[in-house]
Amino acid sequence: MKKVFLSLFFSAWAAPAFAAVGCDLNDPDRDVERLFPSSTGYKVRYLTVKAAGGEALLARIEKRLGDRFKGLYETIDVPYTVYDIYRGTEPLGHIHGVNQKGQFGGIQVFLALDKSGTIRSFYIQKLTSRAAKDLRSKEFGAQFEGLALPDFSGYDPVRASAKPGTPAASLKAPERAAADFPNVMRAVKKNLILMDELVFTEKKK
Amino acid sequence: MTVYSIAYKNLLRKKTRTALTAGGIMLSAWVLATLLGFNRGYQQGLNRDIDNMGFQVLLTAKGCPYEAATLMLKGGTGLRYMDESIVKDVFKHPEVEKVTPMLMHGVFDPDKGENGAIAAYLGVDPATFPSMKPYLEFKQGGWFTDDKAYEAVLGYEAAELETREAGDLMLVVGVEKPVKVVGVLKRSGTQDDGTIFMPLGAVRGMFDRKGKLTGLGIKVKKEADIPAFENKLYDLPDVQVVSMAQVKSTIMNLVNSARVIAMGIAGIALIIAMAGVINTVLMSVMERYAEIGIIKSMGAMPFDVFRLIWTETAILCGLGGAAGIGLAFVTAGLSEAAVRYFLPYAPNGALIALDPAITGFAFVLITAGGLLSGLYPAWRAARVRPLEAIRIEGEQ
Repeated sequence: MKKVFLSLFFSAWAAPAFAAVGCDLNDPDRDVERLFPSSTGYKVRYLTVKAAGGEALLARIEKRLGDRFKGLYETIDVPYTVYDIYRGTEPLGHIHGVNQKGQFGGIQVFLALDKSGTIRSFYIQKLTSRAAKDLRSKEFGAQFEGLALPDFSGYDPVRASAKPGTPAASLKAPERAAADFPNVMRAVKKNLILMDELVFTEKKK
Repeated sequence: MTVYSIAYKNLLRKKTRTALTAGGIMLSAWVLATLLGFNRGYQQGLNRDIDNMGFQVLLTAKGCPYEAATLMLKGGTGLRYMDESIVKDVFKHPEVEKVTPMLMHGVFDPDKGENGAIAAYLGVDPATFPSMKPYLEFKQGGWFTDDKAYEAVLGYEAAELETREAGDLMLVVGVEKPVKVVGVLKRSGTQDDGTIFMPLGAVRGMFDRKGKLTGLGIKVKKEADIPAFENKLYDLPDVQVVSMAQVKSTIMNLVNSARVIAMGIAGIALIIAMAGVINTVLMSVMERYAEIGIIKSMGAMPFDVFRLIWTETAILCGLGGAAGIGLAFVTAGLSEAAVRYFLPYAPNGALIALDPAITGFAFVLITAGGLLSGLYPAWRAARVRPLEAIRIEGEQ
């Protein structure tokens, strides 16, 4: 007993192998029902860039995003949680969230996508911002519905600008959210690219 | 010609036996020095681990949650406060080495999740808290610059979740002025990984809790009886004592066990060395029975013979002991690797701590043991009767 206790205690001192932090729904049962009202169930998968393709895949994702992955929350081993949504046995789509660095704290942006990758719902689960109320409003989120990855291909997250005339350029930032709007846009584009690389491309294969 | 040179030449007459005896003494000295060094190193290492544990007793107001997870389970409510004056009351106890005051505060953040959640902040004293948690290392930055500074240090997971790095700003719910992240801790595998630390004075100012504490971390002296001390703390009004002392007691038991085992083996090594010396020197005396008789018949006094034999023993023990000490230094790294391989847990740092005091003590002990063992053979040699010795030699 003493040995077990000591091993447990001292193992707390050893350097454990932790993965980077992921982005999960706080209350999946309730959130899935809200984002996919017609669903009857869901399955959860954990995918990483490291396991799916390693450095080469990371480089491709960064190229498509137009920005480098950085910081503690954007490492190659981040476990991305994908919720596969079903009605009975019929797949309806997916829910996937990503962490994004905001001006004053982390932003967790979830997208509910249909089977083709088009956004059905947009949900900011966590946000620390003076404009949090505006960015989490239904009106702001509704702008993203019906958009898909090609609509964001002209968005440059480094310059925080979209090609004029593209759907991304028509998205309106709330008045007080000038600083965090580009962060939300980057999170949406990253989310869509990750889903394309880790889920939709894999499915085609 | 001195008695030393005669003794030395006598030893050289039976080179192999002398070498084997000196080798035995050397091995005993090596075992003794290594074990004493291990005893010192192991104790130092475990004491370091105890120091790294930080405080062993946490004092909170009765019913107050004492870490962020419990606070969140209680929905951010239920915090109870102690007055700052409790620090003085606790310091009156002689068992107390250090204390560190803490103030936890939970705020409802409506922008966490669908229905909001609690954000918890831990106000800590920049002057005392870092030294109470020496195992906390920084991945980025460092501790606060001032007790009232609007600064924060984030545990690794808190930093990941908040996507903050040193130099970033963060908002505290209900506080207009942003807080600057000055440090991000490395993973510690403890609840500190998910904690947002801020200076105690700043947290008191932000949430209007002047002179209040939710917790007091107490580090007790090494020799203190922690259960008895905890009972004494219950005499303070409206407090609860959260004990983290069990681990310390277990480590102290380990230290004591290690000391007993090491001393036991060292004692055995010493006894073996003494037995070897008695055997060798006595054999040497018996072989030279007639020779000693002739020396005495030529006028040598019993004390002269005693001194000669005892000097031989002293040279044997001195050379063997010195060689053993040297061997202990040379093989310290190897011994440490072996100990680490076989022990289920070995603390960090040097495990075999050899210093002049330890090696000097080992040398003196081995030499003194050897000289003590040489007393009987030297006494036997001093008592040899010349005529009897010569007669026995003649009969042979």
